[in-house]
Amino acid sequence: MSTAEVAQRLKSTWETPKTLWGWFATVDHKEIGIRYLATAMAFLIVGGLEALVLRIQLSRPNMGLIPPEMYNQLFTMHGITMIFWYAQPILSGFAVFVIPLMIGARDMAFPRLNAFTYWVYLLSGILVYISPFMGQAPHAGWFAYMPYTGEQFSPAYGMDFYALSLILFTISMTGGAINFIVTILRLRAPGMTVNRMPLFLYSTLTISWVSIFGMPSLTAANVFMELDRRWGTHFFGIAGGGNPVLWQQLFWFFGHPWVYIIFLPATGMLSMIIPVFSRRPIVGYPWVAISTILTGAVGFSVWLHHMFTVGMSAMAMSFFSAGSMMISIFTTIQVFAWVATIWKGRLVMTAAMHYALGAVALLVIGGLSGVFTGIIPVDWQAHNTYYVVAHIHYVLIGANVFPVFAGFYYWLPKMTGRMMNEKLGKWSFWTMFIGFNVGFFPMHIVGLLGMPRRIYTYPAGLGFESLNMIETIGAFVLGIGILMSIVNLFYSLRRGAIAGKNPWNADTLEWSTDSPPEPYAHVHMPTVSSRHPLWDDYDEFDDPDDDRIYDEGRLTPVSDWLDAVPFAVSKMPKETISPLLLSLAMFGFFLALIFQMMWCALAGFIAMLLLTCYWLWPRVEGEEIA
Amino acid sequence: MATMAQTREPRFPRQPCSGYPLDDNRGTWGIIVTICTEATLFVILFASYFYLANNKDRWAIDRPPKLMYAFIMLGILLLSSVVIHWGERQLKRERHVAARIALSITVLMGLVFLFVQALEYQDHWKSLTPYSDSYGSIFYTITTFHAAHVIVGLLILIYTLILPRFAPALRSPYRPYHVAALYWHFVDFVWVFIVGLLYVMPNIRVYGF
Repeated sequence: MSTAEVAQRLKSTWETPKTLWGWFATVDHKEIGIRYLATAMAFLIVGGLEALVLRIQLSRPNMGLIPPEMYNQLFTMHGITMIFWYAQPILSGFAVFVIPLMIGARDMAFPRLNAFTYWVYLLSGILVYISPFMGQAPHAGWFAYMPYTGEQFSPAYGMDFYALSLILFTISMTGGAINFIVTILRLRAPGMTVNRMPLFLYSTLTISWVSIFGMPSLTAANVFMELDRRWGTHFFGIAGGGNPVLWQQLFWFFGHPWVYIIFLPATGMLSMIIPVFSRRPIVGYPWVAISTILTGAVGFSVWLHHMFTVGMSAMAMSFFSAGSMMISIFTTIQVFAWVATIWKGRLVMTAAMHYALGAVALLVIGGLSGVFTGIIPVDWQAHNTYYVVAHIHYVLIGANVFPVFAGFYYWLPKMTGRMMNEKLGKWSFWTMFIGFNVGFFPMHIVGLLGMPRRIYTYPAGLGFESLNMIETIGAFVLGIGILMSIVNLFYSLRRGAIAGKNPWNADTLEWSTDSPPEPYAHVHMPTVSSRHPLWDDYDEFDDPDDDRIYDEGRLTPVSDWLDAVPFAVSKMPKETISPLLLSLAMFGFFLALIFQMMWCALAGFIAMLLLTCYWLWPRVEGEEIA
Repeated sequence: MATMAQTREPRFPRQPCSGYPLDDNRGTWGIIVTICTEATLFVILFASYFYLANNKDRWAIDRPPKLMYAFIMLGILLLSSVVIHWGERQLKRERHVAARIALSITVLMGLVFLFVQALEYQDHWKSLTPYSDSYGSIFYTITTFHAAHVIVGLLILIYTLILPRFAPALRSPYRPYHVAALYWHFVDFVWVFIVGLLYVMPNIRVYGF
């Protein structure tokens, strides 16, 4: 058979029908990855608009734009939207799209689970956004401390929405983590041994394990909270022998690893982008890989630094203070590896590289203010002030939003087939960078001046006025910068230059596919002989006898997790509607639980059960090729 | 349908596809990672138990739970693990009927476990409810979480029991018996910790060895 015939055959095997049913039933990781990205961007915009309302309210003393309760609901929705429904899912989006291409597989290890986790993610976001329309949004900040969130002080449904939509969200994130782990450990192209894995795989693998061990804590905390609120138990109430600090322990045992979950893949993206635009391999590959893993591991022993003011033994606090400092060593190793790469390389200053360099700069500032808050006496001073707000925004915007935008400018040509406008991209970068620093750097100062976080207004004459006005202006400039990139996206979708296979002359396997990639990715499945497949002399796709086409159905090779020696062929499922139906049933189940309509919940549970049975039932595949 | 199969290329096929077997281990990896996260959930629950135990004036030390039911349940679950493991060995030797019988016995034992747990709750409820204090809350939460896992495990086992075939046939992650057995072993293993930490330890602290 000629190559064209083979390609046609592969295409008919792998392509999702372009019908309404196909749109809902697709299990194609490229489609799902783009949906993750689009949904997370939508949440970024919603959360950003909420932030702008907050900033207007704070721009002048004694502003009366929104009442206090609404201010509480807005900053809470801003926080949970950004931290849960934007920051991690957007990285999942990149990972879902890029990783199978990067490792030379034809899909994720569990394609239907992949679709399911996307739908659950989307529906959990919809679930929590029902509450503002009832006027009862969660109102206790993203970490929802007890006892304020108990039934006594928060009788509205807001905190129930918080607890149950987060449980639904953890289901999605845990499913995604399982999928990433099995994909990365089993589906790598022959020859892609662990010491040749692109660094983005290291960071995604690390955070997937961190999710596996971190998310249950959030689930347990939210179950306890819901039981306490509506079912009369005594986990957190002192009167019943409970302990409100239990909530903080559980939440932060999840919460701090979560910071690394939304931070490490972004550094992994930087470790991919910076070497490509420095035109050389990254300096210190093994050190970056090891420090990524160690950040994830040590990330589990720092959570108490969120609670230094709770009142604990000096021994416990010193231990966790030291752990927090230790983390900064691992981050510093990565930063120095990037700096050395830039130093030894020849820079190509694309828009993506602008964002990457900006991210490194902001990460250093945010990291340093983090070291300060890790020191116990400084933490006591700065606790619950705008200093902490400045710190988390430098870390999260510096080490998440900027790398994500770098990733957009880098990988969007692969997704859409068209180049983004470089000039508009650089304008967007400088607007965002200046806007961000103008908006958030003064927060360090107002924080040290003593302005507490989460207050809906402040009196005049405390020295906060001008700085808060500057912050508001900066926040709007940041918003305009983000808007410019969104305009750039829609412009490039129609008018952008055709990207071609490898517009950046990059080194990893995803750049050997068409842009946008065909549903089967590669005709000949690649083999790999170095860390930089497309930069070496070895031909990854050399296959004279057509041994590695795998066109007898949806197949992808399976290799050993350590040495990537192939030993089996994995059969992939076809598109199916059951992930969507199951996630809808789950949505109904959780919605019923919020309002304690137990018969509806039981109906939802039975529906989930039947749909799972339908999903897993072995189909007679005689008429297909097995 | 049959004609379609004939018109296509030969079924399973050409080098090196024919050189490699179909992968039947993907589901096993999936369930192992799932068990990791579920196990962490129980670790977190136990940690909460001991954290709340700081509240010494009203804790299990006043009224350690009775051991008899817990040990009966432990025996049932450990035996059921042995039975399903035996069933898996039969399956490896392609004795499908024996494997199905073993699976049915495991399901029955799981149901007996739930029945005994109901008796235990009925007895225990007289002195302790989830509403009485934090000890009651965490005690019933942990045991109910475990019971929920037993129920899910039973549903998986029953589903496996009614599956038309066990063998790794046409679909790649198709080792349902193995996956179900792994999950069941995990559920059993958790009960060992529950008996040790929630039942035996308070008794030791009150009555000594």
